[in-house]
Amino acid sequence: MEELSQMLADVRRGMIPAYVYNDAGVFQLEKEHIFERSWIFLAHESEIPEPGDYVVRRILEDSFIVVRDEGGEVRVLFNMCLHRGMQICRAEMGNASHFRCSYHGWSYRNDGRLVGLPFHAEAYGGEDGFSKSGQTLLPAPSVDTYNGLIFANLDPNAQPLRMFLGEFAYYLDFYTKQSEEGMEVRGPQRWRVKSNWKIGAENAAGDSYHTPQTHRSVVEIGLFREPTGAKRKTGALYWCDKGGGTTYKMPPGTFRERLRYVGYPDEMIDRIETTWSPEQKRLVSDDGFMISAATLFPTFSLVHNWPKVDANADDDSVVPFITMRVWQPISATETEVISWFMVDKNATDEFKEASYKGYLMCFGSTGMFEQDDVENWVSITTLAGGSMAKRLLLNSRMGLTSADKPLNAPVADFHGPGTAYIGYGEFNQRALLREWADCIERPLEQVEQLAMGKKISKADSRSLER
Amino acid sequence: MAIIKTDTTGMRPLAFADPRHQAAFQFLVDESYLLDAQLYDEWIETLTDDISYNVPVRVTTARSAGFDTSPGMAHFDDDKYSLSLRVARFATEHAWTEDPPSRLRHYVTNVRTFATENEEELFVQSAVLLFRSRGDNREPNLVSALREDILRSGGGSLRLARRLVILDESVIRMQHMALFL
Repeated sequence: MEELSQMLADVRRGMIPAYVYNDAGVFQLEKEHIFERSWIFLAHESEIPEPGDYVVRRILEDSFIVVRDEGGEVRVLFNMCLHRGMQICRAEMGNASHFRCSYHGWSYRNDGRLVGLPFHAEAYGGEDGFSKSGQTLLPAPSVDTYNGLIFANLDPNAQPLRMFLGEFAYYLDFYTKQSEEGMEVRGPQRWRVKSNWKIGAENAAGDSYHTPQTHRSVVEIGLFREPTGAKRKTGALYWCDKGGGTTYKMPPGTFRERLRYVGYPDEMIDRIETTWSPEQKRLVSDDGFMISAATLFPTFSLVHNWPKVDANADDDSVVPFITMRVWQPISATETEVISWFMVDKNATDEFKEASYKGYLMCFGSTGMFEQDDVENWVSITTLAGGSMAKRLLLNSRMGLTSADKPLNAPVADFHGPGTAYIGYGEFNQRALLREWADCIERPLEQVEQLAMGKKISKADSRSLER
Repeated sequence: MAIIKTDTTGMRPLAFADPRHQAAFQFLVDESYLLDAQLYDEWIETLTDDISYNVPVRVTTARSAGFDTSPGMAHFDDDKYSLSLRVARFATEHAWTEDPPSRLRHYVTNVRTFATENEEELFVQSAVLLFRSRGDNREPNLVSALREDILRSGGGSLRLARRLVILDESVIRMQHMALFL
């Protein structure tokens, strides 16, 4: 335990023991302390627009069917048959009124209710032996949505999603609400990288410092005009409650001119203008910042960029795109990246196609930015597993003096909530890992066990000792 | 709209001895050499200007679903411009993911060539297995796929006018998919 408290203390002062990026013991702590009680993004409502539409998603090893039931309600159901534990739905997506277990044929409506139990009378003596009435596939303990984003939490006593998001919701809206009708998504692409999940989450949260080096090639070929060292250091880094991100400083201009600068057509700006609050618009119009990458603790990241996607366009013409992803941990050394493209439902088909193309060229499984990122992260993870890594504290104190003071004061008159700094700094990576440390330190609570099909007696209703 | 691979049931491939099949097979083998050697500038020259290069995302669905690619999402949905940019990036000194370069091998087999209504175009199916080794001690990666190509003749040679790559995996087990199949 002394080793653990030393690790947490080191992380909190911005000195990161390198082994936290490749350690089975640390990963076990993360599983229980973070992933069993954090809000995890599963799907977007536009993936399941019609009754019966479903996608299957996971929180670590737990598989859930995210389904719109016949009444239009979104359900998140643990994908395990109540009888012998078989996986009920073995597809990734589709449409179904019922899910039938392939083992013994138990079947469930798409709201989770158990409706079919073959030979119920003969095998169990009916309700007396197995009380089927009222039984459902286990729902995820907590489910909530924001702007069409469906999150689940394995903690039944989790604080509401909106409270968890806190004022980070102010920033989330820039990506996920560009009109009252909201966004639609495509995908996801899924691929597995031999990297610890925290590295990607930290990178998207606040690493503007890596852009000029890691992504130099993308500037050299003219795909993206922004990520030069000179441009990145003028952006603001903000952290607010459970999330934070990076921005770019825009050239002088009005709200509309600055959205045009990153490629939004006027008809989209018209809707954006009536959708964002005055305080949100001031971040662009008064402060001159355009949101770029962001992370919501622990594993949900977003990117907003504006590459040149049209060969025939004039020199300065760009098209913006938005992507969101989950860094889904597989082990201490492997992460499944689940990456969606996202666009305003009301955008023209022409814009949607151009924006999608921009996404494919820049991010995702074939993106010209992303592939160089992953090369770094795989390498870090591999080396972090050795003995030397246990002796090395990585310096993640950029932007701080030796007396723990910020090199530059926070941005005065910043219209967004939270704290923002201009220039390079690892403020957000530290904030993310402080959140991580707090989560790991918070003691575990007892987990209730449920006995299927039996009348509840004292012996059945017990807690799992941790 | 999900792209579904061509149903070749009832279609008769050209005989292996047919010069058109032999030319198509040779095109694919020569192309594999260019891709293995990472001679991307030369590879780009083998594509028509209106090339469509598409690698849909595969999804696991029930047999009755009628689709097995992700609606509207691909790994590649590229034209000549975007392919040229990807190639130009590899040629910079800062494309870290291929510097040091990977060791690549494209194995091409199961080639079937079909005549089409257009005399200048051949429809060619092939299986490809990509072996990729990065660094000295990492586990190598394998990517297996079916390819459906349109090869167009002109100027005495064949060029690739369309490629649809049907991957055999839903979740890619490689650090990215940005290699040409």
